[in-house]
Amino acid sequence: MIPAGLTLEQAPPFGVPLRFFLTAPPFLLLAAGLLLWQGPDVFASRWLPATLALTHLLTLGFMAQVMLGALLQMLPVVVGVVVPRPRLTAALIHIPLTLGALALAAAFLGGGPLWFQGGAGLLGLGFGVALLAIHLALWRAPVVGSTVVALRCALGALLVTVVLGLLLSGFFAWGWRLPVFELTQLHAAWGLVGWTVLLVTGVAYQVVPMFQITPPYPVWLSRGFAPLLAALLAAWSTFAPIGWRVAANWMGTALAVGAALFAGATLWLLSRRRRKIGDPTLNFWRASMVSLLVGAALWLLTPWIPALAQAPQVELLLGILSIFGFAVAVINGMLYKIVPFLAWFHLQAQLFQRVKVPNMKQLLPDVCVRRQWWSYLAALLLLLAAAIQPRLFTYPAALALGVTGGWLSLNLLRVCRMYDRVSRSGPSSVA
Amino acid sequence: MSAPEILVDGRGLEPPEPMEWVLAALDEMRPGQRVRFLIHRQPYPLYDILRRYRYAYTVETRADGHFEILIAPP
Repeated sequence: MIPAGLTLEQAPPFGVPLRFFLTAPPFLLLAAGLLLWQGPDVFASRWLPATLALTHLLTLGFMAQVMLGALLQMLPVVVGVVVPRPRLTAALIHIPLTLGALALAAAFLGGGPLWFQGGAGLLGLGFGVALLAIHLALWRAPVVGSTVVALRCALGALLVTVVLGLLLSGFFAWGWRLPVFELTQLHAAWGLVGWTVLLVTGVAYQVVPMFQITPPYPVWLSRGFAPLLAALLAAWSTFAPIGWRVAANWMGTALAVGAALFAGATLWLLSRRRRKIGDPTLNFWRASMVSLLVGAALWLLTPWIPALAQAPQVELLLGILSIFGFAVAVINGMLYKIVPFLAWFHLQAQLFQRVKVPNMKQLLPDVCVRRQWWSYLAALLLLLAAAIQPRLFTYPAALALGVTGGWLSLNLLRVCRMYDRVSRSGPSSVA
Repeated sequence: MSAPEILVDGRGLEPPEPMEWVLAALDEMRPGQRVRFLIHRQPYPLYDILRRYRYAYTVETRADGHFEILIAPP
């Protein structure tokens, strides 16, 4: 019997995910530029237009960009379903998402209703195509494991996030009468806890044991975990707007405990790696999970400590921990696994037995990853410090953010340059 | 006189090191030689390359859960 699995024909062309991966890091540079331009005022409140622009440069420009690109790459491999016309589908997602993220940031920075209309149209198109293509693939999956279930829940949460986001842009673009505060809370919760946490859990079930050589996740945590979290989020979203405070608080507590459990279990698995040689991407996983754990603890403790409950910095800290700490760290670390792996895989497929293909460590030496990691850690700590002491730390945080984004770009471009050089050195057999 | 078999033990290595090693072994393989590849999970991408380049191979699952793939030249 010939086992089924990834085949070279099934894997999309390298350019399909790569266009997303190379566009994302410059958005960190844009975010750094915005922080330098706006200065410490950005940290006065999460509701300021410049703060919202900064948030969306990170969530749409960096996070969604890589998450969707990686899903287009992963689906054929993990789920065994091919996305039709991969190049065209990727372009129809990537171009509107990139332009839409820029238009939305410009709209928040004073562009006015026209920019909100443009941003909403572009983002609606990009996410619409992505949701349709990925949903179709996921519901046709021949094998339904815990990863597929988590991905379905994550995609459902993305749909809710996008619909809420479009409604909110209707408020700014066309003056729709809406309960903006409540909708924004829901939009942020579904985007960060629903789409992001659920996608990371679904991916982690596969990649943590595979790449970090750890034991598998315990069954109680993988089976049914994502649907439970999604159900809790749906319950919280129902109770909170209708004023059932006690029920909503319980749901919120359960969600934070769930996120903390996942983070704790992942840190525990990472401490039980079977391979003793250090891996530089391990630092990114650890920073991500510690951020999620600290964020969940802060969320749980805030109602009990009056000094925290009244501090405006808590919301900013939660935002920085979940967006830049949890999501950006794990994405940054994953990019260092995915991009050299795909470069190596496609080179191997084209040139096997004709040209000696460089290995992963030659495509991207550990030392490059380690150096960029320190700049990432500096940026995270300085951003957290800036939320508490904006006057002192905003500019150093902006510089560190720029350095880490630029460095990530250079590291990924290094892999691509080597891919091009080797690819041109031998006859091509695979498009 | 080369050994009849090249043994590649990829168990517990981080992807794609096992694949890098086994492809290097296939490059070195002389006529009449075979490659025995031990690995802790199903190496799906390898099967595709083996089929594409017409290598003959058999897959066996061992009691401790690892896979043993015996590869002969095309």
